[in-house]
Amino acid sequence: MKQYRMRPGRLIAKAVLALAGFLAVFPLVWTALNALKNNVDIITRVPKVIFTPTLANIGYILGRDSVLTGLYNSIVACGSAVLIGIVLGLPAAYAVARYPNRFAGDIQFFVLSLRFLPPVAVAIPLMVIWLQVGLYDTLPALIVTYSLLTISVIMWLAIPAFQGVPKEIEEAAFVDGYGAYSVFWRIALPVAARSLIGAIAFSFVLVWNEFLIALMLSSSNAKTLPIVASELSQQGMNVPWGILNASVVLLSLPPLLFLGILSGFLNSVFRQKNN
Amino acid sequence: MRRRSSLPATFLVPTLAILLVLSMVPTLYAIVIALQNRELSTPGYSWVWFSNFADLFTDRRFLNAVWVSVKWEIVTVVATMVVAIGLGVLMFEVASSRMRNVYCLLFIIPVLLPRVSAAFVWKFAYHPLYGIATYPYRLITGGLIFDPLSKPGTALFAVASVDVWQWGLFFAVIVLKLLETLPPQPIEAARLDHAKRWQIHAYVTLPMLKAPLISLMFVKMIESLRSFDLIYVMTRGGPGVATETLDMYAFSQGFIESGKVSYASAMAVLMMIATVITFTMLWKRVQA
Repeated sequence: MKQYRMRPGRLIAKAVLALAGFLAVFPLVWTALNALKNNVDIITRVPKVIFTPTLANIGYILGRDSVLTGLYNSIVACGSAVLIGIVLGLPAAYAVARYPNRFAGDIQFFVLSLRFLPPVAVAIPLMVIWLQVGLYDTLPALIVTYSLLTISVIMWLAIPAFQGVPKEIEEAAFVDGYGAYSVFWRIALPVAARSLIGAIAFSFVLVWNEFLIALMLSSSNAKTLPIVASELSQQGMNVPWGILNASVVLLSLPPLLFLGILSGFLNSVFRQKNN
Repeated sequence: MRRRSSLPATFLVPTLAILLVLSMVPTLYAIVIALQNRELSTPGYSWVWFSNFADLFTDRRFLNAVWVSVKWEIVTVVATMVVAIGLGVLMFEVASSRMRNVYCLLFIIPVLLPRVSAAFVWKFAYHPLYGIATYPYRLITGGLIFDPLSKPGTALFAVASVDVWQWGLFFAVIVLKLLETLPPQPIEAARLDHAKRWQIHAYVTLPMLKAPLISLMFVKMIESLRSFDLIYVMTRGGPGVATETLDMYAFSQGFIESGKVSYASAMAVLMMIATVITFTMLWKRVQA
């Protein structure tokens, strides 16, 4: 082993990895630092590492009505769509996982193929439809549209999660006189809970980050946070860099809260594969 | 006992019915709109059948957008796979198990970011005067200006680098996890035969992982279709039309420049047909 340590190839490999790790987070850290800077400290030809921090940018962002409305819209639209995804997606996934029929393969492919649809191809007709029924630029329209995303993603990820529940436990419950529904409620759901939470968190991140559909389906009332953030950059020539950086930080925080859950989910997926 | 339950029907039918309605209504309606001549500014419309499609094939900007989209797919998919396999193998070779966990956590962060955020982060970083990514160039050249996002030759690659930053690092984690699932015996055997480290991976481990790596590439191909957010924030399709992909052009035709919803929809329908056919065929092949 000692011989390996001495080899320059190994050192270079470690340096490349360290550089990649640095590149993964540094741009984000830099953005967070810029959010705490006054504009004069950002617009410098030599990047400033030492500066007097200010909370003005963050205060400005949190005091803007448009940002607060965007935050509210994002939370309501994503939260409701994820709830609908849970209520409709989990039972369907369980049925596919545990009651295989000859359509099971086709159903899985259909659910996956929804991901092939280019978002523009869905957004243009939906805009016309929502305009005609008078729901354009409202949260219900956005929630219904996002539900397509959340149901299919939760279903796709929950099928393997339910398949990972040991069959013996469910069989034992049947023998104990449980009905099919109570096996789902009392056995399958709690046992698969960890993986299911990962799947749900993933679907939340996906719709929270969604941009194109929200951009096309809202004009003023139903704008979500990504749309509001993207508009802040278009305020003429005098770009308020600090404010923009603060809005990027605000927008990025919720998905990052799920970092732990999602990396645990990833690990559990591969542990299942191992067995 | 399981067989006779009503559970599969009650659990599946409502969900599938809703998914079918939510996906088929917009899909069919997209085709209907593409056969008409709707515009955002005027309420009336009539049926023009295939003339939107005929116009597309003589529209040089559309043909450019097709070419840009193809370039985007190739550049992002290839670069992502190269970065992912490279870093995955490096982690497998030289990182201790504790460092692997640290890297895995770090490498997942970029892909979790909203693409709008990622795009802004790098748009600042690439700023010719104040950007952190262009700073080394200013330092070395003594203050020369390099503006990757506004040069036609580099803009696409600059935007693609953000996509690879998000997906390449994330896939590196998956490649590592895949390598960890391999049985150790073949690697040991190759080592006993005095195979070099890179030879072990080139001839033993990566061929063993061919199927999952192809699936991974398939996922990336689908995700690369969602380039709109990055391009919209970073370049808006510019400079000129150098980064104008199909969804960007459809969006600007339908909403920014002329409000020709039907024309945009015709473009979207062509994209939809192309992707559904391509990916269905690829998927059947991956599964077979």
